[in-house]
Amino acid sequence: MASSNTLTQQKKPERSLSPWQIARKKFIHNKLAMISTVFILIVTALSFAAPFLAPYLSPIPDVSRVNIGSMNIPPNSEHILGTDKSGRDVLTRLFYGGRISLVVGFSATLMVITLGTLVGSIAGFFGGLVDNILMRFTDFVLNFPFLVFVIVLNTILRDTIDGVSVLIIVIGVLSWGGVARLVRSKILAEKENEYVLAALSIGCSPMKVIRKHLLPNVMSTIIVQATLIFASMIVVESALSYLGFGVPQSVPSWGNMLSSANEPDVLQGKPWIWMPPALILTLTILSINFIGEGLKDALNPKSLR
Amino acid sequence: MLKYSIRRLLGMIPMLILISVVVFSLAKLMPGDSLSGEIDPNNTNPEYIAEMREKLGYNDPLPVQYWNWITGFVQGDFGKSTKYKRPAFDVIMEKVPNTLFLGIMSLIITYILAFMMGMYSGRKPYTIGDNAIAGINYVMLAIPSFVAAVFAIYFFAFNLNWFPFGGSVDILVETGSAEYYLSRLHHVLLPALVLGAMSTASYTQFLRNDIIENSRKDFVRTARAKGTPMKKIYNVHILRNSIIPLVTFLGFDFAALIGGAIITETIFTYPGIGMLFLDSVTNRDYPTLMALTMLLSFLTLAGNLIADLLYGIVDPRIRLE
Repeated sequence: MASSNTLTQQKKPERSLSPWQIARKKFIHNKLAMISTVFILIVTALSFAAPFLAPYLSPIPDVSRVNIGSMNIPPNSEHILGTDKSGRDVLTRLFYGGRISLVVGFSATLMVITLGTLVGSIAGFFGGLVDNILMRFTDFVLNFPFLVFVIVLNTILRDTIDGVSVLIIVIGVLSWGGVARLVRSKILAEKENEYVLAALSIGCSPMKVIRKHLLPNVMSTIIVQATLIFASMIVVESALSYLGFGVPQSVPSWGNMLSSANEPDVLQGKPWIWMPPALILTLTILSINFIGEGLKDALNPKSLR
Repeated sequence: MLKYSIRRLLGMIPMLILISVVVFSLAKLMPGDSLSGEIDPNNTNPEYIAEMREKLGYNDPLPVQYWNWITGFVQGDFGKSTKYKRPAFDVIMEKVPNTLFLGIMSLIITYILAFMMGMYSGRKPYTIGDNAIAGINYVMLAIPSFVAAVFAIYFFAFNLNWFPFGGSVDILVETGSAEYYLSRLHHVLLPALVLGAMSTASYTQFLRNDIIENSRKDFVRTARAKGTPMKKIYNVHILRNSIIPLVTFLGFDFAALIGGAIITETIFTYPGIGMLFLDSVTNRDYPTLMALTMLLSFLTLAGNLIADLLYGIVDPRIRLE
């Protein structure tokens, strides 16, 4: 015993990597996930820099008004991706649109994750009657046909408050059910561990146990889930905007831009108007999904890579 | 099983009541007369509106109004469509066969695609073919259905001219003739393909993993030891075991199809329930909208119930819980 003690004192032991460090290493070695991350970072940076970039991108940087003189121009040296039916530069709108799509997707995800984690962790930790009531409520929310209620609620509310925030709130309120179920099942398994009992017996409040001890242990699951939800939220936003029930038509978003494909004339003869948003949307979704898969692999201690 | 089914059915009742209350509250939040559609929205004479409101019972307390509405609803009185000036029930029922046809076709397509790809991948895991299928599935899962639909129309309907780009049937053909049915099939194929491709990926991966897992089990070794040909082992022994858990997906597909139908039908201008739903939102045809919301919620609930029941049939442990 004594000898081993002196040994550790003499030779400074190599610190083993923390779980987060291991995960980061694994993630960096995953090529597909890294390429996707770089892609998403570039898309995000370009989208948020849109107001500053716009003057350099095209001779008509203002995408909020109709320019009768420059309608439906195919791609050329002045307008790299051409202009749409209102004479607005497609490339500039693409950048502006990315901003809305990403912001709506991110805010909705944040809301879904917060609500779901809150409900799930409380239900899982306290169990019994609380669990029963909360989970029945979750079942209730999950039983709504999502798209139907988003559209109905959005129609009722959109005139009262600003369109984009209504959309975020409506999507968020209707889709936290899955996360709540997932977090609850993880917490249920996690709370059987001795350290939870120890924390409770030294007088930690239940909320503190959840926050400091349980949530960090289910964090990896939540992070992976959040990535996948982020992708699906972008899809929901653009699908709704495409159908004309998402963000108002005046605000450019990828879905709004795609909705011009509803006109057979544009769909058939002017692919430069709808193809760029379709492609960038698909690539973004694909990249986010790859990042999610990469994170899942990286955060799973059993995976060998 | 009977006891389990009854318990599940009874468990649905509070859910149904709650959903109907929510729909009723939403209808009350909407402007005008969104439940019966009897008040003419173009007549703005305040006396007329007051008289009609009194006649239709809008001055009654809310619980009474709710009761009157829900008892009427159960009996098939969905109010009157303000756009078509006909009972909403008839308007909706006209579109049901189209959506049903689309749903069934897309399910058939899902099953055919998933079985072909899943069985191939399961038999030859970790080969180039399997990886290619996994890659395709990944992309199919990631592409939003409406983007897929737009591309499908662009390539298959406009550039290749293989399919019509909208509608449910040619106007020129005679109803009931063989051509009529062929034309309907022709019109439904492209939307059904887009809708069906959505859920193919999860089926395929599930089937693949299940086949791989089953092929390591003892009964397969026994069958091989007896000299059963590999083809028969895969197609009969293993497949039979792997299909069972797939059955439970059917109920969830139900709910997914409803959401998918709204998007797909609108893009393909296929006159079904989904397109009617969006049309009624655009035209502020609130009675039809509320009736559809109610109906679609019921269908989702029914889908979840079917999933639960099938799960109970497949996995007896669930029943005892």
